[in-house]
Amino acid sequence: MVQVVVPSILAAQAEGRRRFDVEAETVGEALRALPVADLLLNERGEWSSNLHVYVDETDASERGGPACPLTGAREIRIVAALSGG
Amino acid sequence: MAIGVLALVGTRWGLFTLWGDSNRRGWRVDGPLLDGWGVYHAIVDARDGSFYAAANHIVYGPTVQRSADGGRTWKRSKKIGLPAWSGLTVNAAWHIEPGLPQQPGTLYLGADPGLLFRSDDAGETWEPNRGILEHPTRDRWFPGRGGLCCDSIQLDPGDPQRMYVCITAAGTLRSDDGGQTWVPVNTNVAADYLPSPYPEIGQCVHKLLLHPARPERLWQQNHCGVYRSDNCGNSWERLDGNGLPSGFGFPIMIDPRDPDKAFVIPEKSHEYHYGPNDRLAVYRTRDAGQTWEEMSDGLPGPAWVTVLREASASDADSLYFGTQNGSFFALADGDTWVEAARNLPPVLSVEVTQWSR
Repeated sequence: MVQVVVPSILAAQAEGRRRFDVEAETVGEALRALPVADLLLNERGEWSSNLHVYVDETDASERGGPACPLTGAREIRIVAALSGG
Repeated sequence: MAIGVLALVGTRWGLFTLWGDSNRRGWRVDGPLLDGWGVYHAIVDARDGSFYAAANHIVYGPTVQRSADGGRTWKRSKKIGLPAWSGLTVNAAWHIEPGLPQQPGTLYLGADPGLLFRSDDAGETWEPNRGILEHPTRDRWFPGRGGLCCDSIQLDPGDPQRMYVCITAAGTLRSDDGGQTWVPVNTNVAADYLPSPYPEIGQCVHKLLLHPARPERLWQQNHCGVYRSDNCGNSWERLDGNGLPSGFGFPIMIDPRDPDKAFVIPEKSHEYHYGPNDRLAVYRTRDAGQTWEEMSDGLPGPAWVTVLREASASDADSLYFGTQNGSFFALADGDTWVEAARNLPPVLSVEVTQWSR
């Protein structure tokens, strides 16, 4: 079991929930289990270059992106890169 | 019973509802709804009162959202997607057009890159229009700064088989068979950024409107001028240069009671996106574009203001528009503008409907 934490804009699209406990072997599988999966993954199953997905302390993009394994993982944190000015 | 105006004002950071009195002088601002989403277009479907919003996010992508309770709660459409063989992905949802009154549950969606979708289940699911997706001229379409957007969808109220879409930059395409096939209708419309200035395809239409009382009459604000067609787009007459200080601009408005009236908000040029002579002004024609007159009473000046292609609306009594610096203006008492709201996020879209209490 891994817990996925989503940002507030995504939580608003999921009836206010920010945390989801899911059973999954990879990051892609975990994201596809969320009620906001359609907002995280495009038609090819990829996430936006403006999205960061961290598995505990590791950037999932450095470990295969959606294929990143979740063995022993406790938390997936989704962070949207939105700053600028 | 009091009758007023409800304006749905889509902004870079959510949707605002502006409630105006019948005289368009007193306004209340509520929002933001869909907080954090860029609302490129939002409508009230007159057939059942539902709100629909084309809501986009730089990270989470394009969505269509529907509310059946006046914006209190929203339901997102299923993923708006394309078949893998197309090699395309949907970049943004641009324009939502309800179907005709005799087509309950049918809506159309214009999207980037150069896409038309149809829903027959009140926005729950969307199917791409194959005639547009596989159009033989697609390889000659190219995006403007806002993308390859489909920003105008117009349905002929007298002929359910006839409809129009505009794509920047492909031009206007018309279907006479309910959307099965599409023909470019851009004769006499300039594209002076191309080697051939009057090509079959490649025009940069910023906004197209069909007059509901005279459906063969179309108006368009183009990158290269303002045009009118009186024959369903088969040919166009250019209308700027006779009182209009510039042919460049984005929005266009019409008077639903008078086919000879239209309104535009010119910009200095495609390189300078603010009004000529450092002013914000609406220009009106009352003679089908033969002459134009300025309507700026109540508007600020000097001003360097941009109004986007979806950021204006009209009804039988008034005109409305929102600016990139977050102001919303309504025409009150005939020819005087009222700043109904200010300090909104940059305004992307405006639509209006009547409300009663």
